[in-house]
Amino acid sequence: MPHQWGMVIDLDRCTGCEACVVACHAENNISTVGEDQAARGRAKHWIRVERYFEGEFPDVKTKFMPVLCQQCDAAPCEPVCPTFASYHTIEGLNGQVYNRCIGTRYCANACPYSVRFFNWYNPEWEKPLNLQLNPDVSLREVGVMEKCTFCVQRIKAGEIQAEAEKREVKDGEIQPACVQSCPTKAMVFGDLSDPDSEVSRLARGNRGIKLLGELGTLPKVTYLQKDSWHGSENA
Amino acid sequence: MQRRDFIKITAAGGAAAALEGCGNPDHHLIRFIPEEDLLPGIATWKPSICTLCPAGCGTLVRVMQGEAEVIRNGQLGILKMGLAKKIEGNPAHPINQGKLCPRGHGELQVTYHPDRIKAPLQRTGERGSGQFKEITWDEAIKQLVSQLSGVPGPSRGWWAIITSPLRGQRKTIVDEFAYALHGGHFEFEFFDSALPAVDLGQANYFISFGADFLGTWNSPVAQSISYGHMRKGRPGQRGKFVHFESRISQTAASADEWIPSRPGMDGVLALSLAHVILRDKLRPAGSAGGAAASIDGWTQGLPDFAPEKIEKQTGVPAATITRIAHESAANPPAVVLIGDSAAAHTNAVFSARAVSALNALLGSVGKPGGIAFSPALPMRGSQLLQPKSNLSHMEGPGSASFAMFRDMVTSTSKAPQVLLLHNANPVFGSAQGSQVRDLIAKSGFIASFSRFIDETSALADLILPDHSPLESWLDDALESGSAQTVVSLAPPAMAPLHNTRSMPDVLLDVAQQLGGDVAKRLPWKTYDEALKASFSELYKEKGTKNAKDADDFWSKAQEQGGWWSTDEKPSAPASAKATASPAKYAEPQFDGSANDFPFYFLPFASQMFYDGSLAHLPWMQEAPDPLSSVMWGTWVEINNRTAEKLGVKMGDTLAVASAHGTLQAPALVTPAIAPDVIAMPVGQGHTNYTRYASNRGANPISILAPMSVAGTDSLAWAATRVKISRVGEGRLVMFGASMEETPKDLKHR
Amino acid sequence: MAAKTPEQITDDLLRPLQGASGRYWSFLALFGGIIVAALCAFGWQVYAGIGVAGIRRPVFWGFYITNFVFWIGLSHAGTLISAILRLANATWRRPVTRCAEVITVFALSIGATFPIIHLGRPWLAFWLFPYPSERGIWPNIRSPLLWDFFAINTYLLGSVTFLLLPMIPDMALIRDRASGVRKKIYTAVALGWRGTPKQWHRLESAMQIMAVAVIPVAVSVHSIVSWDFAMAPVPAWHSTIFAPYFVCGAIFSGIAALIIAMALLRKFLHLEDYLLRIHFENLGKLLLVMSLLWFYFVFAERLTVWYGNNPSEMTVFWVTQTGSFSPLFWLMVVCNFVIPFPILAIKKLRTITGCVIASIGVVIGMWLERFLIIVPSLSHKYLPYSFGTYRPTWVEITITAGTFAGMAFLYMIFAKTVPIISIWELKAAPETQSNHAPALAPVTDSGAD
Repeated sequence: MPHQWGMVIDLDRCTGCEACVVACHAENNISTVGEDQAARGRAKHWIRVERYFEGEFPDVKTKFMPVLCQQCDAAPCEPVCPTFASYHTIEGLNGQVYNRCIGTRYCANACPYSVRFFNWYNPEWEKPLNLQLNPDVSLREVGVMEKCTFCVQRIKAGEIQAEAEKREVKDGEIQPACVQSCPTKAMVFGDLSDPDSEVSRLARGNRGIKLLGELGTLPKVTYLQKDSWHGSENA
Repeated sequence: MQRRDFIKITAAGGAAAALEGCGNPDHHLIRFIPEEDLLPGIATWKPSICTLCPAGCGTLVRVMQGEAEVIRNGQLGILKMGLAKKIEGNPAHPINQGKLCPRGHGELQVTYHPDRIKAPLQRTGERGSGQFKEITWDEAIKQLVSQLSGVPGPSRGWWAIITSPLRGQRKTIVDEFAYALHGGHFEFEFFDSALPAVDLGQANYFISFGADFLGTWNSPVAQSISYGHMRKGRPGQRGKFVHFESRISQTAASADEWIPSRPGMDGVLALSLAHVILRDKLRPAGSAGGAAASIDGWTQGLPDFAPEKIEKQTGVPAATITRIAHESAANPPAVVLIGDSAAAHTNAVFSARAVSALNALLGSVGKPGGIAFSPALPMRGSQLLQPKSNLSHMEGPGSASFAMFRDMVTSTSKAPQVLLLHNANPVFGSAQGSQVRDLIAKSGFIASFSRFIDETSALADLILPDHSPLESWLDDALESGSAQTVVSLAPPAMAPLHNTRSMPDVLLDVAQQLGGDVAKRLPWKTYDEALKASFSELYKEKGTKNAKDADDFWSKAQEQGGWWSTDEKPSAPASAKATASPAKYAEPQFDGSANDFPFYFLPFASQMFYDGSLAHLPWMQEAPDPLSSVMWGTWVEINNRTAEKLGVKMGDTLAVASAHGTLQAPALVTPAIAPDVIAMPVGQGHTNYTRYASNRGANPISILAPMSVAGTDSLAWAATRVKISRVGEGRLVMFGASMEETPKDLKHR
Repeated sequence: MAAKTPEQITDDLLRPLQGASGRYWSFLALFGGIIVAALCAFGWQVYAGIGVAGIRRPVFWGFYITNFVFWIGLSHAGTLISAILRLANATWRRPVTRCAEVITVFALSIGATFPIIHLGRPWLAFWLFPYPSERGIWPNIRSPLLWDFFAINTYLLGSVTFLLLPMIPDMALIRDRASGVRKKIYTAVALGWRGTPKQWHRLESAMQIMAVAVIPVAVSVHSIVSWDFAMAPVPAWHSTIFAPYFVCGAIFSGIAALIIAMALLRKFLHLEDYLLRIHFENLGKLLLVMSLLWFYFVFAERLTVWYGNNPSEMTVFWVTQTGSFSPLFWLMVVCNFVIPFPILAIKKLRTITGCVIASIGVVIGMWLERFLIIVPSLSHKYLPYSFGTYRPTWVEITITAGTFAGMAFLYMIFAKTVPIISIWELKAAPETQSNHAPALAPVTDSGAD
């Protein structure tokens, strides 16, 4: 049975530090766009930490929510792409084939999570910053859509390694860059088709919700809601 | 092995061809002979150490073969070499256990930065004009040697070296170098690196006074790991976190309760909590132990600090204090932290002692779930920061604070004849930085080991560029973040890209050339020789169990990323000296009258730039700040009700003025700050710091008043008051469009 | 006044082809200049990257798709007038059919350039074409963009046929009167027309078939264009009303464009005897009906959304009703309803000038409507953290101006090379052939305008 990759993000652990954001940039050759382009909404943060405040001073609560491609099983971005650049893999990922993309940007409009990012210009790295590029990840050119892939290059590398060693992939062996980096261990990644994997176990927990689940996208990321303190003043 | 398996295994690293060569139009460049033998497409992982903040996390660097355009012997060409591709946390390292903060990832860009100084430079124009020419290392070292021979002396004055706070063998070498040549070693930092290790993972209740322990304070990754564990790592148990601060910092955002308190009131609040615990007998009598004597009025039950009495001055309701006190005592282990702005008021010493006493009362000192100090190492090379002492009283190698340097120069009106600079930018990071600039510029000869031109290194006459951290031998002896003893060690992850040299190697070379006492005290030719020697000593003390001999110990340590103890017990701090008089409440002082300057000014360490030293990295500039989501800019946090009253809208340009300067920056209107507080992140406002950070934003340090934390020479950077006025419309580049999940003006009715 | 003789009709309607005034050339040059500017803007966009346009995350579609929908919508003029009125045997249509069909062909061609203009990699636009590619895949038939591809191409083919077929007898007419190079050109275009009864019979049958066939194609085209939006889960896009709403809007804008075109032709080509007040009045009445229908759709949609009170949809609702987009929204309502309704409903105001004013309002209003369907929704999707505002750049504005200039340019050239009123159809009208002509005959209109 093929793996079905999924993720759990525990909002009670997330502190909004954005280690995941920078780790993703480093791993996936995401170019920086500079101040002017960032002001025009062209920055590409495949994973972002949404921050919301609630209430008025002094009763203000803060909420952090890391949002990345949910690799939806009923992804609205897949039917609308005329060239099959956005398609569903057998391992449950929403694949983005850069070479097929002609840049209609329909997928980005259809995505309710706004997790798709477009290359408005050809990405540039001022030398020698180009030396930081990860050889395992393709560079994208102007006019091509990109987004989180659950670090598919790591998934593939892990699967190839396991096959070469004639064994199964171990739970927790493959970690996307964001999961690997998260200091509070708020992110867990693994095989949802294995009911004993940590990600499956946590996804079944009673704090689990799906972001915009009511839209029927069947996202593969389960968020564990922030908990509250159950103690009291009395010992 | 089957050919198919071989291909599978070798393909495991990824694509066969390195991408760097593609798209390179200069194929006519000569190719240098590779000095390393790496398989293309296969990654090796080398341990290293992150040097960007005092935490000292252990990292693993992914190194793969690539082609780099380099200059060798004045010739531009292409060199196939191992290139660092990614920095990740080292799972074996006790501090960060495989995790890494965003800044640690950004360190990769230090090595590959387009504006790195690629060779030694000698000033050609006026000092500070930025005009340099490249010279050879021989010439550069010759100049340095000649400048240092003969200082100090009656005709040649004194000399000094200013560095960031150093640890490990780098500190040893610089201390010894300075001491042997009768110079001063001064350490500069803006945010104090703190000391204690905090075992949050086992705590059930913890209170933070101002400490941004999940973002920038002390050892953020280690503390975050513990925080995660404290929240959801123990089935059925979830600790509570309360944060006192006048704004919601990144850490405060994760608190169960954020309690806005007036600036400078942290000690008062801590003692009020203690008062309730003592009054209601929530802890066994005598729990505080010796700490009781350290606070004036403790034995009487701290009557002045009853919650009702301090409600008005602190801004915290009495009922809240009482409840928090009860909760903390009812849910042990409970621990209290103080840091950042709470430790930067004029009364910070009082506040710190109050918190110490409260911790003692709660029984958290030296116990699991509480506060401990990392065990100290007995041997040379692991020195804790010396207490900030007067230079003239130093009896051995050591360092003093930068404030001391500043005092010495201003009081004697004698700038040093020779000034060396390493990894410190006091012109940017000091209050009244322009005075510091003038002061430094009076030095006779200035040499810097900086990798980049910044506000301070721009004043140099000679630049001897250091390797980037990934190109250097690194070591670290940690003082915090772990209950184990940790001595990190890492060989260079890659060969140097440019014509740079490791700073300690340069000092050792100069020492050998100078001869005499300094050559005797520093007998090694290279830094790794010195490291090996210190590890020999460490082996004798601690390592005989894990390795056959010193060489074996040395290799094992390099492979692992260092040595750490497995059976050490955390130590408790030395009990309070009996001679120190009991701490009495001191009202926090602020520069500027409340009438003329109605707002408290609160600079804070930014998650991406820390103290500004990382503003030159493009990833950090583009990463949205966690709370404001601002990119490539600076902002002034202002409460939304206050903003409404003043007619200020999001993004409007504000002029913020203290009695010592003015700056302009766009307003960030937010509910998450007290109405009479204005806050600004530290990090932008560089006037000269590579193409990415120069002339971008504003530097809050530039308007700070020169107030000191009473009893120390540290800058009380939270003690400035300001006034604000709206200048006009402005621009804030934010990644997030909304501050609220349901924007008020768009709520469905 | 006596009715015109067939020779007079021929002369009047061929006169425009016999030369052009200085004013004509000046305008043509002006429009040509704007077109060149637009081509340069597009060239710049291809060279530098589509980032020179103002679109951004989350508003990934802006002016270009607005123009796409607008121009495709405008192209519904011809279908309605020609096909439906032919089938209904409405005789007053005769002078009007070709004007309308021409609008369709040109508007459709202009609209069809936008799926290429708005692409990130336009040089790969041919991947939308189903051919056995070396990539081993066909285009994705589930994508509404593919439906657009087929629908628009089918409609274009149909409209061109619908335009060219009835042009043949007029081309033959010119051929018979022309000489030299012109004779050669028009001979080729006339396809050997001799005017035999058999040929007339074939022509009429073909027209009949096309009239029937092209109506469902036209309805499907704009339904499919509307499904570009409705098939995506975007607040206020995902609505079942979109297909009929868009078709209505298309016909609405098409009629308005037709009225404007006719008014301009009437004035500049001196066709006062042929394009009569009654034509404008009738079209004006149709425009009134469409205005009411448009208003009905908008009202029904918004009332339903308001009752539904879905948070994301209400965000978009308020932002157009009272928020940042409200000036444009209310301008649209004024242009599409408040101004046209009294003008078109009150007979006294329903003059040619009145109809033109109403139509100009409608064209503006309908362009705004497309914009307001696309941009406010994309600016405010589900997660407020990712809201964003859109500002067009000079590139998009220039290209938009270029499309209007392009339309005018093409129309002006057509009017000088082909008789804009179908001569044979006019002559074939029973009213022309008898003396007791009802008001539809081309007599000099007694009521001055």
